[in-house]
Amino acid sequence: MTKAALPPILVVDDNKDNAEIIRQYLEVRGYPITVASSGEEALALYETVKPALVLLDVMMPGRDGWEVCRIMKQHPELGKTVRVIMVTALNELEDKQEALQTGADDYVAKPFDLATLAATVQRNLAMRTALAS
Amino acid sequence: MDQRASGELAEAVGTTAGTRAVFVTSAEPSIVRAVVERAHAASLPVVVECADESARRRAVELRAEEWVLAGTGADELAARLHAAVARAVPGGEELSDRVERVEYERMLHDGLTGLPTLPVMIERSRQRFKERGELVVLYFNFVRYSKIEEIYGWEKLDAVLETTAAAVREFLDDTSAQPPRLMVSFMNDDDFIFFHVPATGVAAATDAEITEMVSRLQRHVQTLIEAQHGEDIAALFDIYVGRAHVYYNPKIRIERLLYRGIREAANASRSIEQRERARKVADLRTSLRERGVYVDYHPIVYADTEDIFGYEALARGVMRSLRSPEVMFEVAQEADLIWELSRLCRERALEGLTSKLKPGELLFINVDPHDFADPAFVELQVDDPTRVVIEITERTAIKDYPKFRERLATFRKAGFRFAVDDAGSGYAGLGSIANLEPDFIKLDISLINAIDTNFIKQNLVETMVKFASDHGAKVIAEGVERAEEFRTVRDLGVHLVQGFYLHRPGSTAATVAANAAAAARPRERAAASS
Repeated sequence: MTKAALPPILVVDDNKDNAEIIRQYLEVRGYPITVASSGEEALALYETVKPALVLLDVMMPGRDGWEVCRIMKQHPELGKTVRVIMVTALNELEDKQEALQTGADDYVAKPFDLATLAATVQRNLAMRTALAS
Repeated sequence: MDQRASGELAEAVGTTAGTRAVFVTSAEPSIVRAVVERAHAASLPVVVECADESARRRAVELRAEEWVLAGTGADELAARLHAAVARAVPGGEELSDRVERVEYERMLHDGLTGLPTLPVMIERSRQRFKERGELVVLYFNFVRYSKIEEIYGWEKLDAVLETTAAAVREFLDDTSAQPPRLMVSFMNDDDFIFFHVPATGVAAATDAEITEMVSRLQRHVQTLIEAQHGEDIAALFDIYVGRAHVYYNPKIRIERLLYRGIREAANASRSIEQRERARKVADLRTSLRERGVYVDYHPIVYADTEDIFGYEALARGVMRSLRSPEVMFEVAQEADLIWELSRLCRERALEGLTSKLKPGELLFINVDPHDFADPAFVELQVDDPTRVVIEITERTAIKDYPKFRERLATFRKAGFRFAVDDAGSGYAGLGSIANLEPDFIKLDISLINAIDTNFIKQNLVETMVKFASDHGAKVIAEGVERAEEFRTVRDLGVHLVQGFYLHRPGSTAATVAANAAAAARPRERAAASS
């Protein structure tokens, strides 16, 4: 099964259309994708899906992306290896500093093209593999 | 494979034993909806075949696990089915239940240290306390843990807290023969609470025994932190322990008794802290009188050639209680001795200009913003001011702007140069840094720590390098401890580098031992951050 070879990705976005576009694009490339439509859902799915990487929208009602990232990174097992990419409309210095505070590994600035997204996903998964060895 | 006409289908879904997934090929929205709902009610994943874009959208809205385009090959379909089964992600009610459970669990245990939260601990000790009739509360007050976060970033504080919790657990495993005699909880900030319930038939620990146990635990925590995070961090904080004896009283609710005990123990720890602070102030006065300050010179090297560019002077107290510069300056601040201490440190540091540095090498000295109001500083006399770089931290530099800039201008005219310290730590934007017209920009340590694995840090440093080049300043990366970090900052165009990876700071015999103790550090840090 070619699908099983690639690590699972959790896409978190309250905008279902956005999530779906990302899911479709990455699925075609063979990544198993799970979609969560809120921060709370993402945390509930976290231990089941055991994602290698999380694409996390920042602006969500309820728990926002920053908070979700912080909680995910503090997870006693998964937190050590998960890569978190923040998807954000904000591209200011302050936002990047805030992203660092939460433990995020990378970010994609909205609006993004899908090729950039895929490249970002790839370099983070490569880094994860490098760190594991 | 169970294949049926659409009419019977909805009923069949979820009632057919052994079904692991449902594949819907109907183009009729109402049937697709019915099937998905039935399947999810039975916790079965669904794959929907979609003829067009609107069908796919519908499938997504219904939260089907997977979809395929009509006419896709068997391989693709199999893959989709497989993926759907593998995920079998819960939805609807089950998912919201799980959301609640996750929230609930987070309330019971601290995620970072794995220790139970206070309400949990109270619940657990309730019965024992009632049976035994007494309980000792120990309150561990960790002073200056927050400084670790301020200087090194939250990752370091989290790592130190994990080490602390591990040390505490290790200690408990060794100490309590009867397991629940001692229980520990972590207060979200940085303090720990212990409940000690004497075991049945055993006398309650005497005050002497508790004192002995507390000092053993303190030593254990200190040793482990020093071994894993180095002397600089171990010297940064103090642990003060307060205690309270609580006796069971059937007329008062147990929670209330325990919370009172905790408050009493916390107050006791604070009064010990006050006493220790007074002792440190006395130590500082002695140090000032006897000029008991020595200076570590941290080399700053060119990123490309690794040749020495200059040194940062870092003053430390000769007395053990004042070894950490942060502690020493905090004590001076409280005792209103900051000018006296600054003057002494400055004099000591400048001695190195002739005794330690080669001609042409620059000396970086840290200057507290308060110093700019000190007449002795304003009239600072140095033989060759162009060799002296005044470091001002971004954290405080930004207050009282006009006056501050006026003073800077005077120094600049005399030939001194300036560095903005801790840049990029988020205290000030690039605009404020530009206003200071620095010759050097020293990046905050938290940006450099594990920069090789974090793309946001790389992006920020790149921004800072470009900004510096636009403003005629050079960028210095501080706290470079690993080869990977060094290569990364060099490749990002950072001009100058400072850190254990290249050179260990050193000046006196006193630091040699400390350096040896720190020798194993970078490797451990690399392991901890991966």
